[in-house]
Amino acid sequence: MKDKRMFGFELVRGAAAILLALGVGTIFIFLSSDEPLTALRYLLIGPLVSIKGGIASFNTQGFYNILAAMIPTIFTGLAVCVMFSSNQFNLAGEGVVMAGGFVAALAGIYIHMNTGWHAVLCVLIAAVIGGLIMLIPALLKVKLGASEMVTSLMLNYVCMYVVLHFLNYNFADRSKGSTQTFPFEASAQIGTMVPGGSKLTWGFLVALAFVALVALLMYRTRWGYAIRMIGINQAFSKYSGMKVGGTIVLSQVIGGVLSGIGGGIEVLGRYSTFLWKELPGYGWTGVTIAILAKNNPLLVPLAAFFIAYLNKGCQLMATYCDVPSEMIDIIQAAIFLFFAAEQFLSGYRQKIVVKNARADLAKAAQISEGGAE
Amino acid sequence: MWSQLLDTIWKTEFLFSVIRITAPILFAALGAVIAEKAGVTNIGLEGIMMISALFGVLFSYWTQSWLVGVLGAMLIGVLLGLMMGFFALKLKTDIILSGIAVNMLGSGGTIFLLYMFTGMRGNTGALVSPNILIPTVNIPLIKDIPILGDILSGHAVLTYVAFLLVWLIWLLLYRTPLGLNIRAVGENPNAASSVGVSVRRIQYIALALSGALAGFGGAFMSMYYSQGWNSGMVAGRGFIALAAQAMGRGEPVGAMFSSLLFGLAQALRTKVSGLQGVSSYLVSLIPYVVTILGLVIYAASTIKRVKKIKAARPEGKA
Repeated sequence: MKDKRMFGFELVRGAAAILLALGVGTIFIFLSSDEPLTALRYLLIGPLVSIKGGIASFNTQGFYNILAAMIPTIFTGLAVCVMFSSNQFNLAGEGVVMAGGFVAALAGIYIHMNTGWHAVLCVLIAAVIGGLIMLIPALLKVKLGASEMVTSLMLNYVCMYVVLHFLNYNFADRSKGSTQTFPFEASAQIGTMVPGGSKLTWGFLVALAFVALVALLMYRTRWGYAIRMIGINQAFSKYSGMKVGGTIVLSQVIGGVLSGIGGGIEVLGRYSTFLWKELPGYGWTGVTIAILAKNNPLLVPLAAFFIAYLNKGCQLMATYCDVPSEMIDIIQAAIFLFFAAEQFLSGYRQKIVVKNARADLAKAAQISEGGAE
Repeated sequence: MWSQLLDTIWKTEFLFSVIRITAPILFAALGAVIAEKAGVTNIGLEGIMMISALFGVLFSYWTQSWLVGVLGAMLIGVLLGLMMGFFALKLKTDIILSGIAVNMLGSGGTIFLLYMFTGMRGNTGALVSPNILIPTVNIPLIKDIPILGDILSGHAVLTYVAFLLVWLIWLLLYRTPLGLNIRAVGENPNAASSVGVSVRRIQYIALALSGALAGFGGAFMSMYYSQGWNSGMVAGRGFIALAAQAMGRGEPVGAMFSSLLFGLAQALRTKVSGLQGVSSYLVSLIPYVVTILGLVIYAASTIKRVKKIKAARPEGKA
């Protein structure tokens, strides 16, 4: 009973935070747009409902597009969940996605295999590279006490420039106008699940499988238990005999592997050559998703869907109205601030706690009266 | 190639450019120092720099006065610092997450705000004219000293302010009651609170000061360094400043020296990228790699020192 009420409170608080963030977005839309209502319509229902000649219909292709956009962010969201659960603010997901995508692309171009395993191998290589990159901030933290936050932020830039160097100087297809690699072999490309132009590939199912895997890891294995306990109380975990250093490294390497897979699947699924020229932004979106999911892997797809939906809405707003798509950053920042605020609506929570306590007391009084008779 | 490089470095202009490039990093690093002294990690420096850089240009364009632009940028920095404080201290959003949110506002929100206020996309090219840039000054006596004059004189006003602030902030931290409170709150909030210091109030003040300093850094970037605002302008300087703070052992003077080191790395990057046959991308890595190496060396030396102290301590007394 008590738990149910608190759970209800958490739901209300989450919803209030999201509504507040959308409210902030709405204010900015009204400030900047000449046709705010049309812009709002595109933002809120545009992604799934297409309106032609006054008739609204469900936009199936739009739905597929949203699911497709979730593929990389589910992976980065899971990665952040695992790393933040152990209280490690590693923010290198961004760079790892780019590096993972790049090595997967190279493996797709220069390794010749004629089976469907080609794509799997490419993604595995991306996973290994991702894990190796994340070893750097993790080991520096555990061995030397260097802040994983600062080193991981710097690593993002390092990954980006190293990838750009190799892309421009070693692997560029000079016959093309823009800088890109040669196309991947057909066997390395990840196929789509549905007809039409959307990029909803089999990667989506892989992403969902990883949601289940990471949830199992975090809640059903001793490694996951250690990761979560170290996040809650590192000193206690150490005292009770857990290998704190090893677990911190493990959580970040898992984060790297997940981010690398995300980058690899995204590049092999969405494109036919590697053409990113800057950090793709999935790492930061992953942080937002992990916050929304409260570090619970099972909630990651839901959060990823929400962000992909908003993102699509913002893009539509920018295409058809006069509101820049960067609106998404303002809404995301507001979600961040309110959703992660422990004391947000704390007065309301206090009331629930008081009410529960009164109810308990009344019940106890009733029982003791009953006993006296 | 190496002799070519040495030729360009062995000139007064190079050292002049080191100082120029150091200034914005130094502003933000001092901001990191104050916040960290009060026990709050301000990872939002990057975003604060971006946003105040934009408003510096806007304010100076609207009023046609560079001074108003700089002060406006500082004010925006203060407001952002207080906003982080409101969420982190009052609503208990994790301070790191509050900082990340400010950085999101810095990267995307600025593009939105620029469009909202001016209808421009991505940069403020058309708004900037020489009369609203931060002016440079020649220092009377020093400018006549042969080599030193070429290096130290002729910088922007804010460059001198940055180095002056190193001393002012040291004074603030070590010679004023507020500074004592800031350090007390950072070292042991419970003890500070038990003698009647309002921890929350001190941390608000520290975040506001930290925001003001990052605001100066932002104004320097857009109103002098790159002469206009563009979306990729700050390029991790706020993050580098955090590293400078850590490497400088959290002290203003230490932060100055590590900022100079990163300034040197950045200046080197500009020089090397002008040479033939060098990958501009690998050269771009220099400041970030130097930052990581700096952190590693600093952390390793700290561990060694701690071990030495432990070893020196007689048995049974630990």
